[in-house]
Amino acid sequence: MSNNRTRRYLTGSLLPILIALGWQAATGMALFTPAILPSMDRVFKSFVEMAASGQLAEDVLVSLSRVVKGYVVAVALGVVMGTFMGMSDFLHNFFSLTLNAIRQIPILAWIPLIILWFGIGEESKIAVIVLGAYFPVLVNTISGIRQTPQGYVEVARLYRLSRWTVFRKVYLPSALPQIFVGMKLGLGISWVAVVASELIAASAGIGFRISDARSLMQADVVIVGMIVIGVLGLLMDKALSLVFHKATPWTR
Amino acid sequence: MLKIKGLDKRFLVNGREVVALQNIDLDVKKGEFITIVGHSGCGKSTLLKIIAGLQSQDVGTITCHDRQILGPGTDRGMVFQEHRLLPWLTIRENVGFGLQGIDRKEKERLVEDHLRLVQLEGFGDAYPKQLSGGMAQRAAIARGLVNNPEVLLLDEPFGALDALTRIQMQKEVLRIWEEEKTTMILVTHDIDEAIYLGQRIVVMSARPGEIKAVIPVESSNAKDRGSTEFASIKKRVLRHFFAEEEWAAVEYAI
Repeated sequence: MSNNRTRRYLTGSLLPILIALGWQAATGMALFTPAILPSMDRVFKSFVEMAASGQLAEDVLVSLSRVVKGYVVAVALGVVMGTFMGMSDFLHNFFSLTLNAIRQIPILAWIPLIILWFGIGEESKIAVIVLGAYFPVLVNTISGIRQTPQGYVEVARLYRLSRWTVFRKVYLPSALPQIFVGMKLGLGISWVAVVASELIAASAGIGFRISDARSLMQADVVIVGMIVIGVLGLLMDKALSLVFHKATPWTR
Repeated sequence: MLKIKGLDKRFLVNGREVVALQNIDLDVKKGEFITIVGHSGCGKSTLLKIIAGLQSQDVGTITCHDRQILGPGTDRGMVFQEHRLLPWLTIRENVGFGLQGIDRKEKERLVEDHLRLVQLEGFGDAYPKQLSGGMAQRAAIARGLVNNPEVLLLDEPFGALDALTRIQMQKEVLRIWEEEKTTMILVTHDIDEAIYLGQRIVVMSARPGEIKAVIPVESSNAKDRGSTEFASIKKRVLRHFFAEEEWAAVEYAI
C-alpha cells in the first residue's frame, strides 16, 4: 500500500524533473536570451528576493484572500441552486437553457461589464471569481442530485420521510462525490479568474505581479508568479481531496 | 388481516395499454406466509408495490386491518431484490433508517435486537459494500422488520444471490418468520422457493396478470425438497404454466 504510494509519487515527479533538466540544458547552452527564458538560478534568486522583501507574501495573501472569498460564495450559490435545480424538474427546465448559454461565455468576456457594474475595486475581482467558479459547482451538483438512484428514494418513501430528511439522508450523500468534483474544478477556475481579475486595476496580487513584471520585461518574476500559483493551487486541491476523503468514508 | 379486492392496474407502454393486474382477490391471514409465483412481467412485483403503497391501483381496494391502504406506511415493511442499503450509512444506521421520531435509547435497542435476529451482531459499524450479498440482504430484512410491521413484503429477495446462499437465506427467512410471526408475502419466480417457504402459493399468469390458483402447502413433509409431497405440489404449480400439448414433455422432465 505505502509502497504503491511511493511509486506513484516517484512516477509523478519524473516529469517535473525532466522539465527542470531540459530548462537547465536550454539556458546552459544559451539557446534563449534571459529576457525570453531566464535560467533556473535567476528565477530562484528572484524568488528569494521577492520572499525576503515580503512582496511575495503580500501578493500571495492578497490573491489567496480573493480566491477564498470568491470561491466560498461560488460554492454556496452553486450547491444551493444546484440542489434546487436537481430536485425540481420545473426549476431545472426553467433555468437550464439560460444558464447553459451564460456558461458558454468566457470569463474574460465578462470583465468589461463587470468593471462597469462593480467598478475597479475588490468587488469586481471577487465577482469575476464567483462567476468563474460557480458553473462547475452548479453543473456537477445538478447532475449529482439527479443521478441519485431511484431505488434509494423509494426506500425513503416507504418510511414517509420528510422532503428535508430525504434530501439530507439520500440525495445529498448520493450527490456528494459529484459535488466534490465540481468544487475541485471550481477551485482551479478560481485561480484562472483571480489572475484575469488582477489584470483589471490592481496594485497587488500574483496576477498583478505577473502582468507588471511582463511590462518591465522581467521574465524571471513572471515565472516565479506562475510557479507559485501552480504550487498553491496544487496544495489547495490536495487539501480539498483530503477533506472529501474524510467526508465520504463509505467510498473507501 | 390484509384484504385485496378486485384490484386492476393498467400501464401505458409506448402508447399501448397493458393490463398488469386484473381482478386480483386475495385474503392474507395474520401470521401467514404467502408466496406468489409467476413469469417475469406477470405483475407480481407491481402487486407488491401496490400493497406497499409505492404505486396505486386503478380499480379495487386493499385494506390492512380494515384500514384502507392509500400510501406507504410503517405497518408494511419491504425488501427488494437489490438490498438497497444506503452506501453512506453503516449497517446499524441502515437498519434504523426507518425508525423516526422515537427515543434514542429505544432506537438503539431495536436496532441491536434486529441485528441479532438476522445474525449480524458485530457488523453494525460496517458499510454495506463490506458485506457479502447474503449478509447485505439480511441487513435489508432487519431494516424491513425493525418497525415491527404487520406484514413484510419481499420482492424476489434472493434473486441476485448465488444458489447456495439462496438456500441458506431461505432457511433464515423461515427461521425469522417462525421467531417473529410477522405476516410475509414473498414474490419469486423460483417454484422450489415458493413451495419451501409458502403456506399458500399464489400462482399468477401474465398479460393480463391474474391469479390462476392458490395452492395450499399443508403437510410439513412438503418442506423437504426430496419428498413426494414436494414433487406433487411442484407438479400442480407447473401445470398452470404450460399448455396441454406441452405438458407431457414437461411432466417427463420433472
